[in-house]
Amino acid sequence: MLRRNTPIQQKLMKVIMLTSGAVLLLTCSSFFAYEFVTFRQSSMRELSTLGEIIATNSTAALAFDDSTAANEILSALKAERHIVAAGVYDADGKLFSYYRASRNQTPFPTVPEADGYQFAAAYFGGYQPIVQGDKRLGTLYLKSDTGAMYERLKLYGTIALLVVALSFLLAYLLSRNLQHGITTPILALTETAKAVSDRHDYSVRAVKQVDNEVGVLTDAFNHMLTRIQEQNLALNESSAKIVAFNQRLEQRVAERTAELEASNKELESFSYSVSHDLRAPIRSIHGYGNILKEEYASVFDAEALRLIQTILRNSKRMGQLIDDLLAFSRLGRKELMRFDVSVQDIVQIIVEEQKSIEGDRPLEIKIEKLPNAFADLTTLRQVWINLVSNALKYSRDRERSIVEIGSFEKDGALIYYIKDNGAGFDMKYYDKLFGVFQRLHSQKEFEGTGVGLAIVQRIIAKHGGKIWAEAKLNEGATFYFTLSGMSSSAVAVNEN
Amino acid sequence: MSVLKITKYLKAGRSKANLWLMLVAVLLSFGASAPRQDEITKEYQVKAVFLYNFTQFIEWPPDAFAQPDAPLVIGILGPDPFGKYLDETVQGEKIDGHPLVVQRFHTLAEIAHCQILFVNRDEKSEWKQIFDYAKAQHVLTVGDVTNFSKQGGMIRFFPEDNKIRIRINLTSVKNAELKVSSKLLRLAEIVEP
Repeated sequence: MLRRNTPIQQKLMKVIMLTSGAVLLLTCSSFFAYEFVTFRQSSMRELSTLGEIIATNSTAALAFDDSTAANEILSALKAERHIVAAGVYDADGKLFSYYRASRNQTPFPTVPEADGYQFAAAYFGGYQPIVQGDKRLGTLYLKSDTGAMYERLKLYGTIALLVVALSFLLAYLLSRNLQHGITTPILALTETAKAVSDRHDYSVRAVKQVDNEVGVLTDAFNHMLTRIQEQNLALNESSAKIVAFNQRLEQRVAERTAELEASNKELESFSYSVSHDLRAPIRSIHGYGNILKEEYASVFDAEALRLIQTILRNSKRMGQLIDDLLAFSRLGRKELMRFDVSVQDIVQIIVEEQKSIEGDRPLEIKIEKLPNAFADLTTLRQVWINLVSNALKYSRDRERSIVEIGSFEKDGALIYYIKDNGAGFDMKYYDKLFGVFQRLHSQKEFEGTGVGLAIVQRIIAKHGGKIWAEAKLNEGATFYFTLSGMSSSAVAVNEN
Repeated sequence: MSVLKITKYLKAGRSKANLWLMLVAVLLSFGASAPRQDEITKEYQVKAVFLYNFTQFIEWPPDAFAQPDAPLVIGILGPDPFGKYLDETVQGEKIDGHPLVVQRFHTLAEIAHCQILFVNRDEKSEWKQIFDYAKAQHVLTVGDVTNFSKQGGMIRFFPEDNKIRIRINLTSVKNAELKVSSKLLRLAEIVEP
């Protein structure tokens, strides 16, 4: 707390101390300088004043030839430590009385010299007339030690220093006490601000201690805090609302999903059981139809045979539809068994099989490098069968079917593709491409149940992958798919 | 001192041949009584200066003088012991515009207007009369006779350690309305009557 407080207090203190220190120093040094300059003059003046007093006092002693009294008067100079010698000469210039501060002194001048005081190296002194009324009675001689004079100068210096020190101390004490008036409100405000930022507690309020700028600052700060608190409250309320809304939404989604799943399952099991149950009667129809055709072929005329043939063809197709539907439905229940699978091998075999089905039609099937996949073998084979057969089927009316199978990597994902030069399709019907029983071509043009691509999509989705296509009417189509969960090792092996 | 010298000679000269010398010496020593006279005069030289100096350390009331430039008279009652010294000392001197003058009085009746009166008479019967006069006329009475100050004289010179010192009867001084400088009082002995 104290450490945190120091800077502003220290700064203030520094300002005050520096200011007062500078003022004091300037004052004292100018005082000292003045003292030093005027020191000789004032010393001289003091000495001559002292001489005047001594001279005036010693007139009677001189007039009445009383050297004892004169000695007494001179010995009063003991109080003046810097006076080292003093003497009184009578009117005839004979030494009448003298005083010496210590015994070892140079002898007195035998005869007084001209009046006036003079400075010498270590001493200064001189002569002064002793006058009563207008009658000169004698001469006073005074000798002062300059050492003592400089001692006094030293004393002045010491006093000046002492004054500086004391004033400095006083300034320190005063400023330490007086600055509280400035710093305390600021520090309190700082404390509050710190509390706010530390604890994010906007309910704290600074206490207004003074009515000056700091007071205004405190008010503004408090006002700001109030505003922040209000806004925070509003923000919290709205975010709580959003959270609640999100939760409701999520819950609703979950509910809907569950509902959907349930209905999907229901639908699946319904379609499974329907197709399963439909299979027996349709087989029965087909079987009896066959019997009818073979046993009564001789009885029936041509028209009857054509009708029977139609019944047989349609029932067979019905059976095919039901089988496909069953296969599609089964996919929903089947668990995937994923292994490292050689896509190259699978595609190779399937292409050979499909080629043989197509007879001797001119085909050009190019198989590029196909990396291994971590996938369910059976279903993946189904995917490739459907895609390859589709490619050949829809390019059947071309002079030459050209199919290209390959793979590439994009954004770290392995993408397989199969491209044909067949009928293609209009992209505006793309939505219907993977739908069950959805067909973009008529049964007459290209036979099919419309389940193949739906199965492909379902298998790939079950693998966690994605399928998409690009096509133009009469210019062929390209199908791309990815299988997530592809073994990275397999990818690495194939790359090598 | 000269007596001592003679005695030395008397003691030294034991032979007949020295007898004449002795006689000459004695004769000489008698003839040399002139320095002795000088000695006395020297004492009075000092006293003469002192008398003059009193004028600087004593203040007379204004009515002690007839007019502002009236002379300050130093009177001598009785035989004059100063000879020409006092005259020489005060020659041409002035105190506050008053020229200094010396006057000699032989009898009481002769005493005229003066500011300082040196009483050189031992007739104590006259003193009372003199002192009364001095009191009325603001005259500083000075003497060097024993008991002078005790009897009512203002200042008496007395010898001490081969020096002349001053004794002051402050009451008498004050009665005559004279003011003595404290500087002078500092040197003097004060006498209570």
